[in-house]
Amino acid sequence: MSETQDDLERIAEAEEQWRREVLEPRVKRFQIEKSPTRFYTPTATRGFDFLEKVGFPGRYPFTAGNNPFDFWRAHAEAGAKLGIRPDSAGGGAGAGRYSGYGTPEDYRDYQLRMQSLGSRGGPNIAFDLVTQCGYDSDSPFALGEVGRVGVALDSFRDFQVIYEAFTGDRDIDKVASNFTINAPAAVIIAMYAALAEKRGIPLEKLRGTPQNDILKEFIARGTYIYPPRPSMRLFRDTLVFCRTELPKLNVTSIGGYHIREAGATRIQDLAFSLAIGCAYLQAGVDAGLEIDDFAPMVTFNAFGGSMELYHEVAFQRAARRMWARLVKERFGARNPRGMMIRQPIAAHIGCTSTTLQRPLNNAARAVVGGIAGGMCGALPAAYPPFDEPLGLGHSLEAIQLQVDATRILIYEARIADVNDPWAGSYFMESLTDETEAAAQAELERIDGMGGAVAAIESGYMQRAIARSAYQRQKRIESQEDLIVGVNCFTGPNELEVSIHRALEKLYDPAQMATAEERQCAKLAELRRERDGKVVSRALRALEATARDEAANVMPDLIDCVKSEATLQEICDVLRGVFGEAEPVKL
Amino acid sequence: MERVWQELIDAGTGGDRRALGRLITRVENREPGWQDAMKALYPRGGRARVFGITGPPGAGKSSLASRIAAILLGQGRRVGIVAVDPTSPFSGGALLGDRLRMCDVATAPGIFIRSMATRGTLGGLCQGARDVARILDAAGFDLVLIETVGAGQDEIEVVKAADLVVVVCVPGQGDAVQTLKAGIMEIADLFVVNKADREGADALVADIHSMLALRGERNREAPPVLQTCALSGEGVDRLVAALLERADSARSSGERAGTRIREEILTLIEGELARVVRRRFAGESRLEEAVRSVRGGESDPYSAAQAILETLELWR
Amino acid sequence: MSGERKIRVLIAKPGLDGHDRGARVVAYGLRDAGFEVIYTGLRQSPEQIATAAVQEDVDVIGLSILSGAHLALTRKVLDRLGAQGAGDIPILVGGLIPEGDKQALREMGVVEVFTGGTPISSIASFIQSRIANP
Repeated sequence: MSETQDDLERIAEAEEQWRREVLEPRVKRFQIEKSPTRFYTPTATRGFDFLEKVGFPGRYPFTAGNNPFDFWRAHAEAGAKLGIRPDSAGGGAGAGRYSGYGTPEDYRDYQLRMQSLGSRGGPNIAFDLVTQCGYDSDSPFALGEVGRVGVALDSFRDFQVIYEAFTGDRDIDKVASNFTINAPAAVIIAMYAALAEKRGIPLEKLRGTPQNDILKEFIARGTYIYPPRPSMRLFRDTLVFCRTELPKLNVTSIGGYHIREAGATRIQDLAFSLAIGCAYLQAGVDAGLEIDDFAPMVTFNAFGGSMELYHEVAFQRAARRMWARLVKERFGARNPRGMMIRQPIAAHIGCTSTTLQRPLNNAARAVVGGIAGGMCGALPAAYPPFDEPLGLGHSLEAIQLQVDATRILIYEARIADVNDPWAGSYFMESLTDETEAAAQAELERIDGMGGAVAAIESGYMQRAIARSAYQRQKRIESQEDLIVGVNCFTGPNELEVSIHRALEKLYDPAQMATAEERQCAKLAELRRERDGKVVSRALRALEATARDEAANVMPDLIDCVKSEATLQEICDVLRGVFGEAEPVKL
Repeated sequence: MERVWQELIDAGTGGDRRALGRLITRVENREPGWQDAMKALYPRGGRARVFGITGPPGAGKSSLASRIAAILLGQGRRVGIVAVDPTSPFSGGALLGDRLRMCDVATAPGIFIRSMATRGTLGGLCQGARDVARILDAAGFDLVLIETVGAGQDEIEVVKAADLVVVVCVPGQGDAVQTLKAGIMEIADLFVVNKADREGADALVADIHSMLALRGERNREAPPVLQTCALSGEGVDRLVAALLERADSARSSGERAGTRIREEILTLIEGELARVVRRRFAGESRLEEAVRSVRGGESDPYSAAQAILETLELWR
Repeated sequence: MSGERKIRVLIAKPGLDGHDRGARVVAYGLRDAGFEVIYTGLRQSPEQIATAAVQEDVDVIGLSILSGAHLALTRKVLDRLGAQGAGDIPILVGGLIPEGDKQALREMGVVEVFTGGTPISSIASFIQSRIANP
C-alpha cells in the first residue's frame, strides 16, 4: 500500500514473469482453459488511502466496524465462565429471543415459562400473517393462518395479555420490546404507547425496535397493505411521533436480508437497502426533523448473506462505508452515531443457502456464515439451525449445534479478537472497492428513477429481483452454480440419517389447532362488551386525520386502540382512505 | 357437428363456466370441428360490443380494464375480458400475468377473464381474439374488453377485432407519443392518459392533440383524449360513458363494418392456406429437394418458392 | 392460431404468505419449457383460484405455500374447485411442506408435492407426462 510507483512497476513486471513461468505452464499441464485461482498483489490497490477507505473501528467511515468491540465481546470470557450466552450480557435486558405463536394467552404463558427458566429479556414478537396483513382472526383471509407463524393479535386487549408476562422487574420501562411488524406498525406502536400510559410509565422510558420497514415488503416479503406513498406517510407519522414521544425507540429495522432471500443479488441487496434507507431518512428530513437527531434511531435488521465468505466480508465493509458516506454527505449529518449501520447480527447465511437434501450439511454451511460475521465485527452467529428447511421447527440438537458453533468460533477459534482482520489485504480492499462501485452504480440508477419509492411503484425492483432469482435457479440447474448434495455429489442411495430430533417444545400442537377458534370467540366477546359508539367516534376521527396528508395519525390511533377497535377495523379505515397496494405485473 | 362440440356449445352458452372455458380452449387450439362450432356460434352473438385496449407496457391497461369492468358490472352488464400477452419466440411458452391485476373483479358472477398468448402465428392473433370475443358474445356477455400490449405488430393486429380501440398512455415515459407506433395512432378511437395524477399529464394530453392535428384526419373527427387514474378510479366513468356512446355508432357504421368483415374473411382464408401449405409440404420430397438445391448453391429460396407455388396452380 | 395445443398451468399463492420467489421462478421456468403460465399473484382466496382455473381452463394447478397453512388452504381450494365442477384438474403443491404432511396432501387428492431443490425440468416433465397419461 505504501509502494512507490517504481515498486508497483517492478511488481507488475514480476507478476508478468510469474504468469509466463509459473501460471501458464501449470494451466497447460492440467489442460484447462484458465487458472481456477487468483492471486492479488499491491497492483490491485494502487492509490489505496488507508485513512479514507478504512480508518479505525468506531470512526468514520466505519469500514472496520462500529466500535472496537461490541457489548457482548466486552464480557464474553467472564460470561463464558458463568455459562451466560454471549449475546445476552450487558445491563438493561434487551429484547429476548424471537418467538411468537398461538393466541396472546398462549404466548404470555410461553414467556412466563421462559422466564422461569432464566430468560431475562423483553418480548421479541413474531406476529401471525393475519396480524401482519392488518386482518382480524375471524376474517376469511385468516383461514389456516391464525397463530401460525407468530402470535395472533386482534386488539389492545390482546396486546395487554401478552404484556401480563412483563411486569415488576420486567416491566416495559426495564425491558426492550421488538415487534416484527411492518404494514400495521403504527397501530402496534400506538398500543405500546397506550400500554405505558395505562401503567403510568413515562413514554420516554420505552425501548425497543418495531421493524417498520414497509418498503422491503413490496419487493421481498409481501405483507404490505397500502400503496407505497400512503405507506410512507404512515412511516413519517411513526417517525415523527417516536422522536418526540418515544425517543428511545428505534424507528425502523431495515431488512436487506429479506431482499436477498427473495432472490436479489448481493449488489441489489446492498443498493436497494441503501436506497430504502435513504427514503426513510428523507422522510424524516422532509418532516422537518434534524438528521443528527433521528438517524441514530434508523437501524438495520441484517443484510443478506451467502456461502461466498470473501464476498460477504467485502459486502459488509462496503455497506458500512457507503451508509456512512450517504448519511454524512447526502444528508449533511454530523452525529457519527447516525452514520453507523446498527444491526444485531451480520453476514450469517440465509435460509435459502441451506438445503433440504442432507440437512446435516447445513451446520457446516452455517459455520461459514458465522466466520464471515466474526470477521466483520459481528457476533459469529452460526445461524440458522441445520434443520431449518425441514419446516418442522428447530430441534434441540440443531439449536445446540448452532449455539455451540458460535461459542467455538468466539472462544476456541478466537475469531472476534481482531477488528477487520482483512483490512489492508490487496484482495479484500480491491473486492470491497468493486462491491462498492457496483452498488453505487445501481443506487444511482435508482436515484435517477426518483428513489426507492418510485423504483418500487414502477415495479423495477420487483422485476429485477425476480429475474435474479430465476437466473440463480438456471445456474443451479445447469450446474454453473454447484451445491453439494443437491446438484453434484448426489447418489442413488442417500444415507438415511436418523437424528434424534427432540423438537424444542415451543408449543403444544393441540393448542395451536384451537387458536383460531379461541381468538374468534374472544373477538365476539370484545364486540359485545365494548362501547360501539366510542369505537365509531374514534374510527371516524382517524379517518378525518388520515385524509389530511399533513396530519399525524398516531394520536388518533392511540384513541382507536384504547376504544377497543380491532386491528382490522383500524386498518380498514385506512384502507378506505389510502386504497390497497396493487400487485405488480412481472 | 360432433356431439362433444354441440354439448360444449349448449352448456357454455347456457351458463356453465367450465364448459365455456373448455369451448374457448378447443377453438383456440383449432381442434377438428372448430369451424363448424364457430359457424354455429356466430348467429347466437352479434350483441356484444368489443373494445380493444392497447398501449405501451406500464400504462396500466390491466388496472384500467378492471375498473372499466367494475363500472359496467355496476350497471348490470356482463363483461368478458381477454388479456393477451406475448408468446416467447424461443420456448413457445408464455407468462400470462394480466389477470393478477384484475383480482377485485375476477370472481364477480358477471365477469369472465381469459388470458391468451399471441402464439406467434400465421393467420393473425386478431382472429384468435375475435373468436374468443364471439364465443363470449354468444354466451351472453354484453361487452368484451380485449387488452394487450402495444409493443409489436401482433398487438396492433388484435385490436382489429374490436369495434372501438382505446389507446392508453402514461406521463413520464420519456417521449410517450413517439413510442406509440404509427399504426396505433391510426386505429385509435379514443386516447386515455392514465395515471393522470402524475406530473406531465397535461403536457401529454397536449402532445397527443398536436400529433392528431398533424395527421389531419380526413373524414373522421379527432378522437377524444381523456384522463384517468385507474388506481383511484377517477375519470373512468367518463371513459365508460364515452365508450358506450361511441360503440353504438361504430357498430352501425357501414364502411367500417364492411372493412372488418372483409379483413376477417381474408384472414381466415390466409390462415387456412398457411396451415394447408405447412401440412402439405412438411417433410415432402419437393421441399427437401429445394432445400438441398439451395444449400448446394444451385438455387435460391425465391426461385425454390416460386417453383413450388407454380405446382399449386393457383393463378390460372 | 397455429393449432398446436399448449399446456396451460395456473400458479397460485393462496392465503397470506408473501414469499413468492419460488412461485415466480417456477412460472418463468415453465414458460421457458413451452407452457402457458397464468400466475395469480399473492393473497388468492380459494374462490379466486378455482374461478381462475375454470375460466382459464388450465391443465394443472400449482399451489405455492410457505406459511405452514398448506393443509387448511389446499383442502379449501379443492373444495371450491369441486363446487365449480373442476375437481378433475390435477393439483401440485410446492413450498415449505414437512415430509409428514405430504401423505396427508396426497390423500386429499393432491397429485404431487414438489419442495425445495426440485429442478424445474422435473416439474415440467412430470406435468407433460401427466397430461399425456391422465
